[in-house]
Amino acid sequence: MMSRRLMLCLTLLLTGCASVVKVEGEQVVNQRLVVKVADAWNKLVTAGEGQPFEAWTQDGLMLDHLRFWAAIKPGQTLLVAPSVPVGAGRRAPQVPTFRAGMSADELVALFELVYAADGSLVTLGKLEPVRFAGEAAVRFEFAVARKSDGVQLQGVGWVAVHQGMLFASTFVAPRLAFFGRLLPKAEAVVATARIR
Amino acid sequence: MISAARDRRSALRSICGHCVGMGALLALERPSAQPAAAPAEPVLDAITLPRLARPAIDSDEGGLWALMDREEARLRRSPFVVRDAALSDYLRSIVCRLAGDHCPDVRVHVVRTPVFNASMAPNGMMQVWTGLLLRMDNEAQLATVLGHELGHYLERHSVERLRDLKSRAAFAQFLGLFGAVGSLGQLGMLAGAFAFSRDHETRADSLGIRLMQRAGYDGQQAAQVWDNLLLELQVTGGEDVGKRSPMMATHPPLASRRSALLRLAGDRSGDSGEQAYRDAMAAHRLTWLQDEVRRGQFDESLILLDRLARRAPADAGVLFARGETLRLRATGPDASRALDDLSAAAALPGVPPQAHRSLGLLHRQRGDLPAAARAFESYLSASPEAADAALIRHYLKEISP
Repeated sequence: MMSRRLMLCLTLLLTGCASVVKVEGEQVVNQRLVVKVADAWNKLVTAGEGQPFEAWTQDGLMLDHLRFWAAIKPGQTLLVAPSVPVGAGRRAPQVPTFRAGMSADELVALFELVYAADGSLVTLGKLEPVRFAGEAAVRFEFAVARKSDGVQLQGVGWVAVHQGMLFASTFVAPRLAFFGRLLPKAEAVVATARIR
Repeated sequence: MISAARDRRSALRSICGHCVGMGALLALERPSAQPAAAPAEPVLDAITLPRLARPAIDSDEGGLWALMDREEARLRRSPFVVRDAALSDYLRSIVCRLAGDHCPDVRVHVVRTPVFNASMAPNGMMQVWTGLLLRMDNEAQLATVLGHELGHYLERHSVERLRDLKSRAAFAQFLGLFGAVGSLGQLGMLAGAFAFSRDHETRADSLGIRLMQRAGYDGQQAAQVWDNLLLELQVTGGEDVGKRSPMMATHPPLASRRSALLRLAGDRSGDSGEQAYRDAMAAHRLTWLQDEVRRGQFDESLILLDRLARRAPADAGVLFARGETLRLRATGPDASRALDDLSAAAALPGVPPQAHRSLGLLHRQRGDLPAAARAFESYLSASPEAADAALIRHYLKEISP
């Protein structure tokens, strides 16, 4: 376990301005979404603005990730695309953006776009109404064929809107072995989610 | 470690050649000693070349072939490869019609990615992305692209490119860029960073036109391919995207390429093969349309879908895809336009069941609950085991009196 964590830290530190910290106990995402952690998770901490979600992992972000979006306001994006030079008369690519009044299926479609943004193939699976963080929500399953290396991933997500703001979580891991092994740990965290 | 390996694989894939596609379009705009509209050199020699022999393994070209062989083995296992014997046979028949004696040396792989791109590796591995197939109007336009790729292959441009790259810092710059994916323009920039030289592209254009005309295709269709793509690129690249390269910020006119292609094609008539092309793509078209919507670049997609709808106004799949794109973009009058498209699609034969679901969601959003209920029931009736059936039944329960 120690060497795996060391390798994860080294990989992240060598590839960008990021560090990994161990998360345990009660955690608060964006000051609004509270979760309780039974198993230890690794959290990616990036310098500067970073992504609008918090990313945790068990075995490394190339293998699995548990993401949390908390208190996303209308007009905010769910993803920060790599910056590209945008000169006069040009426009940046469109990025999945939360809008007020989105229906459950539109919310799910946002996450479909998040995972397809790098050219990966995303296939939606079962969608069902559930409760998440104490709110009426939708749970969605999806499969991802990752463009960068062709690895087949399995994913599950929960999304709710509370007081006009989006709260969500997704868990993704390789379909073979990893997803089945790690999903209970992710679900255990998500089950404790509450909005404050 | 993982990241480094991924970058290495990305680089290798790129040596295969992000060729035709935005890369080619942009690479053509690079500065060159040749004037943009310079007439192409005679290319008949390449057409009459004997089949290319595998180079010695201890040569740089042999090493490149070996690398590409490994990439091809990886590609064959990829979940992105479309495994459809009928589609592969159709594409192979076009390649053979174009390549003549070289036909046995070329292998075509259809790759499911909703972006305009095709490439040709020096070992004969050709990749055609589904986003390109969705954008072609007919067989002659596809032959334009395949002929162009065969031109690179016959003249062994990859080897020259490899030798050039070894002496440039562009390789590191390219690796740094990889990962910036999303719009056509971004992908084009990536491709352009590693593209063939402008001179190579011009020669491949010339050779491609000769090959397609020798095979009996309408050479005039070549210019149409670029006209169509340019309209999409202008969404993020601006009106003058065809006059400059984001990588090199140069300003030679794209129009020169178009006129060069038309000049090369001359007045000679030929087949367009529109019906054969439509028939060959029919089984996959809806999937590729849905992939286009999922790209999330709604403004670019609408340029494409408007064009497809003009060519086939009663195509339920196209109307569904355009309605879905408008519904998800949801700006200004989009919801109303989406309602028009989805209602029209729902009344056509061959409508995808998902069109009823989207129609129901729109009606529900607009407060027309009886219409929403009817559409949801149509959806569940056509697709009772749909993955989102539980959610739709939940909606139905909510809106039922």
